[in-house]
Amino acid sequence: MGKVRISSIQLFLLLSGFLFGSTVILAPAKGAKNDAWLAILIGGACGVLLMGVYAAIALLNPSKTLVDILEEKLGKVAGTIVAILYVWYFIHLASLVFRDFGEFICSVTFPEMPMVVVIGLFAAVLLYAVNSGIEVVGRLSELLVPLIPVIMLIISLSLFTVHDFTAFLPILENGITPVLKTALSFITFPFGETVAFLMLFPHLNQKEKLKNVVLISAIVSTLMQVLIFFRDISVLGSGLMDRATFIPHLTSLIIPEFNIEPLVDINLLIGGGIKISVCLYAASRALCQIAGINDYRNLTGAISTFCVVLSIWVHESVLDLFSWTEKVWSYYSLPFQVFVPLLLLLLSLKKSKPSNAGTANEK
Amino acid sequence: MLIVLAVFAVLIISDFLRFIRNKEPAKVFVIYTCLMATSLSISLLLAAGRRPSSPAQWIEAVFKMIGVLE
Repeated sequence: MGKVRISSIQLFLLLSGFLFGSTVILAPAKGAKNDAWLAILIGGACGVLLMGVYAAIALLNPSKTLVDILEEKLGKVAGTIVAILYVWYFIHLASLVFRDFGEFICSVTFPEMPMVVVIGLFAAVLLYAVNSGIEVVGRLSELLVPLIPVIMLIISLSLFTVHDFTAFLPILENGITPVLKTALSFITFPFGETVAFLMLFPHLNQKEKLKNVVLISAIVSTLMQVLIFFRDISVLGSGLMDRATFIPHLTSLIIPEFNIEPLVDINLLIGGGIKISVCLYAASRALCQIAGINDYRNLTGAISTFCVVLSIWVHESVLDLFSWTEKVWSYYSLPFQVFVPLLLLLLSLKKSKPSNAGTANEK
Repeated sequence: MLIVLAVFAVLIISDFLRFIRNKEPAKVFVIYTCLMATSLSISLLLAAGRRPSSPAQWIEAVFKMIGVLE
């Protein structure tokens, strides 16, 4: 397992694919209406900082996964308990992305298909990819993630004749509060979810590039989200955008003459697939490390099956899913995405300082 | 219900055969069995139309209890 290596470009594409994830069908900053672009920029700036924290933790603890760091900094017992909570969090996150995928496919593409079949087939493909190793998922991302911006470009250019470039005005019509609330939820979805990458960062072959890779992927993702928002609002207008469930899909339907709707499905397959693969890998590897099992592949099957069942069980309907995500997800994610990583960073900085002072004295 | 049982039987038998062939330690069997047993029981309840209260509801209830949500 120690020999597994991914290049910086593979990590960049994995991160970008992960950040696009379900956001290719859902608009995470929808709550701020016309001012969503402001919420995306504020949330994106904080998201860049948050991802910088994850990169700093990884750089201060080289070759250590999240489980190793937790056990070292918080002690064996507390570290193991928090690590088990992280395993649950990764499984829950994977199941939510599975559900987003299932809901989208069953309400848009294959309305007659039972959702469990759609999710189960997708899980089988992803299980095969994860069992092939994280380097295979990395190579897959090299092949597939570049398609996401190409597809977005095709959709945006096809809509060039139906734009209203003043649709996002007036600015701050409802005040700054909804913008700040939406910015907070934009930090937790998708930026904070990259905490799962703390299980992957030790595999990077050029550690010195980690910070740049993380920051560039976060900035690129934020800019893409802003562009998508301007495309969607200038095509749909703020009223329709507020009522729509799958906004980019609705935008693609407006293209005159020809149907490029399946391209949105392809984007979701790529982004969602990478996000679920990373979560499955992180959960399996973390659970195996906690239990002292050598090969994470022993538990991927059971974890994938549990994710599929959880995705069906966790919410009764799509409305329940969206309302729960809007109300609870940000608060539920904060300890996993912000509080524990900040604590780990402080403890890592504290422990690295005396050793630095020690080496200076020796010199 | 039968389909659920059949799918789980195939998954569990194929994985257990692999574990026995690779002489995996007992803890692999224990964790695997716990996860699959949980998945199977929830699946059977869902298939029977008796959906148990979900983790999302528990999480929401905890946040309401501590006053984070109204």
